[in-house]
Amino acid sequence: MTMDWGRLVLAGIFNVGAVLLVAPFLEGVVRKVTARIQSRQGPPIWQPYFDLLKLLGKEDIESGDVPGMQQFAARLSFAAAVAVACMVPMGVGVPLQGAGDAILLIYLMTLCGVCTVLGGLAAGSTFSLVGMSREMMSMVALEPLFAVAILIGAIHTGSFRLETVLDGSVYAAGGVPVSGLIMLGVVALSFQAFVARVPFDISEAETEIMEGPLMEYSGPKLAMFKYARMVKLVAYSALFVALFLPWGSSLVFPLGALLTWGKVLGLVLLVTLVAATHARYRIDQAIRYFGCLLGVSMVALVLASLGM
Amino acid sequence: MSFVSKLKEAIVCLRAGRVTLPYPARPREVPPNFRGRPIFDAAKCIGCAGCANNCPAREILVYDPCQEIRILKYLGRRCTYCGRCAEVCPEKAITMSTEYENATDVIGDVGQRLELFMSTCQRCGRCFKEPSALEQLKLKGYRFDDPENERWVFRSRAYLEGEKPVDDIQIEMD
Amino acid sequence: MEARTKLGELKEKFGGSIRRADLPGGGRMFVVVDPRAIKAVCGHIFRDMGARYVISIGADDRPFSGEYLVAHNFAFDRAKLLCGVLSYLPAERPALDSISDVVPAASWAEREFRDLVGIEPIGHRYPKRLVLPDGWPEGVHPLRKDVSWDHVPANFDGELEFKFDDPPEGCVVVPFGPFHPTLDEPAHFRLYVDGEVVRGCEYRGFMAHRGIEKLAESVLSYNDIPMMAERICGICGCVHSVTYVQAVENAAALRVPERAEFVRTIMLEVERLHSHLLWVGLACHIVGFDTLFMQSFRIREPIMWVAEKITGNRKTYGLCVVGGVRWDIGSEMAAELRGVLDKLEEEWRSVVDAVSSDRNIQKRTRGVGVASAQLVKDVGLVGPVARASGADIDCRRDHPYAAYDRVDFDVIVARDGDVWSRLVVRMNEVFESIRIIRQCLEKMPGGPIQSQIEDELPVGRMGLSSVEAPRGEAHHFVVTGENNRPRRWRVRAPTYQNLQGIPSMIKDQQLADMTIALGSIDPCFSCTDRMETIDVRSGHRRIWSGEDLRRLALGGRG
Repeated sequence: MTMDWGRLVLAGIFNVGAVLLVAPFLEGVVRKVTARIQSRQGPPIWQPYFDLLKLLGKEDIESGDVPGMQQFAARLSFAAAVAVACMVPMGVGVPLQGAGDAILLIYLMTLCGVCTVLGGLAAGSTFSLVGMSREMMSMVALEPLFAVAILIGAIHTGSFRLETVLDGSVYAAGGVPVSGLIMLGVVALSFQAFVARVPFDISEAETEIMEGPLMEYSGPKLAMFKYARMVKLVAYSALFVALFLPWGSSLVFPLGALLTWGKVLGLVLLVTLVAATHARYRIDQAIRYFGCLLGVSMVALVLASLGM
Repeated sequence: MSFVSKLKEAIVCLRAGRVTLPYPARPREVPPNFRGRPIFDAAKCIGCAGCANNCPAREILVYDPCQEIRILKYLGRRCTYCGRCAEVCPEKAITMSTEYENATDVIGDVGQRLELFMSTCQRCGRCFKEPSALEQLKLKGYRFDDPENERWVFRSRAYLEGEKPVDDIQIEMD
Repeated sequence: MEARTKLGELKEKFGGSIRRADLPGGGRMFVVVDPRAIKAVCGHIFRDMGARYVISIGADDRPFSGEYLVAHNFAFDRAKLLCGVLSYLPAERPALDSISDVVPAASWAEREFRDLVGIEPIGHRYPKRLVLPDGWPEGVHPLRKDVSWDHVPANFDGELEFKFDDPPEGCVVVPFGPFHPTLDEPAHFRLYVDGEVVRGCEYRGFMAHRGIEKLAESVLSYNDIPMMAERICGICGCVHSVTYVQAVENAAALRVPERAEFVRTIMLEVERLHSHLLWVGLACHIVGFDTLFMQSFRIREPIMWVAEKITGNRKTYGLCVVGGVRWDIGSEMAAELRGVLDKLEEEWRSVVDAVSSDRNIQKRTRGVGVASAQLVKDVGLVGPVARASGADIDCRRDHPYAAYDRVDFDVIVARDGDVWSRLVVRMNEVFESIRIIRQCLEKMPGGPIQSQIEDELPVGRMGLSSVEAPRGEAHHFVVTGENNRPRRWRVRAPTYQNLQGIPSMIKDQQLADMTIALGSIDPCFSCTDRMETIDVRSGHRRIWSGEDLRRLALGGRG
């Protein structure tokens, strides 16, 4: 038992530490690759670390309607993102297995989105409210997609435990895993929205509504939102890998971890490529798109309950 | 979703490679006829004040402390590097150099001051050959811009004292 | 010929009211009418004779004729004729009927001469301040001859604010500008938003006045002004300096050497190239597509280098003097220019190919910011905005200037009137510009590049000039004067008319499309705001405190 607890704590530390250390690096990779696609040099790969340090060192200005709530929203956003990271296997198994199940994971993912809404509402300026309403609209259509994937995994394996669900469970149906493959397509097509990149970074559209919900944030609060965004990129990518591309991740410690992180890196590069070659969509177009995907995922759910 | 066109766009990007220049780590050459900071050559200048007459930004001041000396001061603060001074100078004493890194926090750095010994009197202005009727000297005679306070006064007199000043426009500018 | 016919028609209808008519030739006509008939004459010209409205000008002519002058300029594009309908008003009571009922496009121009010259347009529907700052005292009209160019009014009220109209029912006010990441220029659009749909807007601009017209009348001389004119705009500088010198040459009947005309044409087209490439990049940036933004700028860079080689500067060419140009294009330079154009055409062809079938961009730009053909006519829209809505107007063909009558080119027209059409029009105009430059390089004759001006220019003559800027028609009006400077110089930039069409273009559209709709007219606020300023250095500048910014951002929530 002691060994188990020790292993859990170590795994937890590994996950959180790895995510906190590597998330800015992956963000730097995104920026560098985007720059090369755009025929320019781009910032150094370590730039996001410097950005976060700089923001953390700035004066914590209170602007916006409800400053107390703004502080809370910033911290909650970061905490929720890190909590999601603790529940996702990144090469050392799931740290918090036994402490929660897949439903908690879905809840935490939704909480991340709610934090942005809270932040926008607390700031209270016109553009924040516009951005916040956009975020709410897209959350309603978007969050269910990942939830449906996890649900299908749970249906196939018959349990909500994290380490069973997050192990390629969507493919666990007998024969050809139709529902699994459908969900692979659906989540892949909406992945850009989960990690808030072009063409679906609508709520934070810089050129249209001046950064939307993040408008009244600066200094340490902005650092937390930004860090949360970077952590989300890593956590969601790892989640995608665990759900849909699990092969090889359960190997012995260094190999499995390296393979997982390699897949995460690959996914991040794909996200960058798509982000660099697309224009941003309008909120009504995006909602219609997610609506379609939601419909398809409902079909997959029905198929999964029929055992396919 | 317009996959082919995205592919074409990606090809356009990748073919170009990286085009960012390493300035300011490495200097950037400009073409020889680049209009940078004008350089005034006191040896060639005859003190005709044609440049002051034709500077659209009024950044060249002329002041005559006595009959033999004319002070020409190029302030350079609002110089737009248009090159009109160099164009109308009858002695080609002004060259538009290729210097463009002129930013400084000491405003006096960009100024140039020429003290000229005038061996003929500066009353008639005939030493300025205007390129066309539109560049005629507005003021002839002794000039009294204010180089100490860097003010363009635009006033002249036919003689150093006694005579009434001849004004084109009543302006005192700072 | 055409001018005589038009004049005959006017005389038939309004015989008694026409005091005098000048037909100086070269596609210009000036008709002096009785002020009481101005509305009828202008209405007839605009509605029945099918002319296009250009601009209205107010001038203080009291030192010379004892009266005020109002000119309404129209263009008969098919007849290649620019026409000014003039009217002299008594000095004690400068007022005349507003024509904005019959010519909606005249709305801003009349508000402007009301602010700056003090001529009252009777019956104007919206006589609010347009140009002068809010705290400016009444009765001080900067462009009058008795107000000096550096006059600082004593009772300037820095605290007075502009009175905006009330928003319609159920709408939230979303302030757009003057601080906004997309529009790097100061303009304030007060949007009335219902959910995500824009229901209306009010514009308050003219925050960046620089006093150009007053300076030209008071302090600068004929050959100083082109240097200032090219700084009216950050992109279309060459256009304004060419238009100005052409207006002066038109007024003084000066002939420009042929080689100079070809050089002007080449540099104008070079400017069009870099402006359109910049705009395409900007439009992509507004919809979030930064990659194409970077690529457009990369492709555009060699043009800036070649302009620097020819003129000595990337953008402020310093090209024109009255009677010619200052820089020549030698044979080596011409060969280099040809090389740059070849490479540019090839790269741009691949970009246009890729973008034309890109449904991602089309989804953001089709059906957005639509300008109907009726709006084009009523508000007097010009340039690619008008051509994208089906109006076949282009000053290079309709009112030929420089060497445009000696080269062949097509005018690109599209039908749909939305942002996508404007994108297509501008992308294809790049190819036409390249074609024009190539022809000019071939046909350019030898000879001098400046004409010899022996005497001072004649006084009191009027000149008009219309040039096709990348954004539309830039129109200048010059009255020559004494002391080597003009009596009146009026600059009408294309964005001046195009901005008046924005409220209709964004009505009932999504908020997210506001920026791209505004960006699609390629707004150049520095061109629009070029009017009057009086030195506001001495503490009469409004400094936006943090509190002000907060209030502005919170919009209608106080």
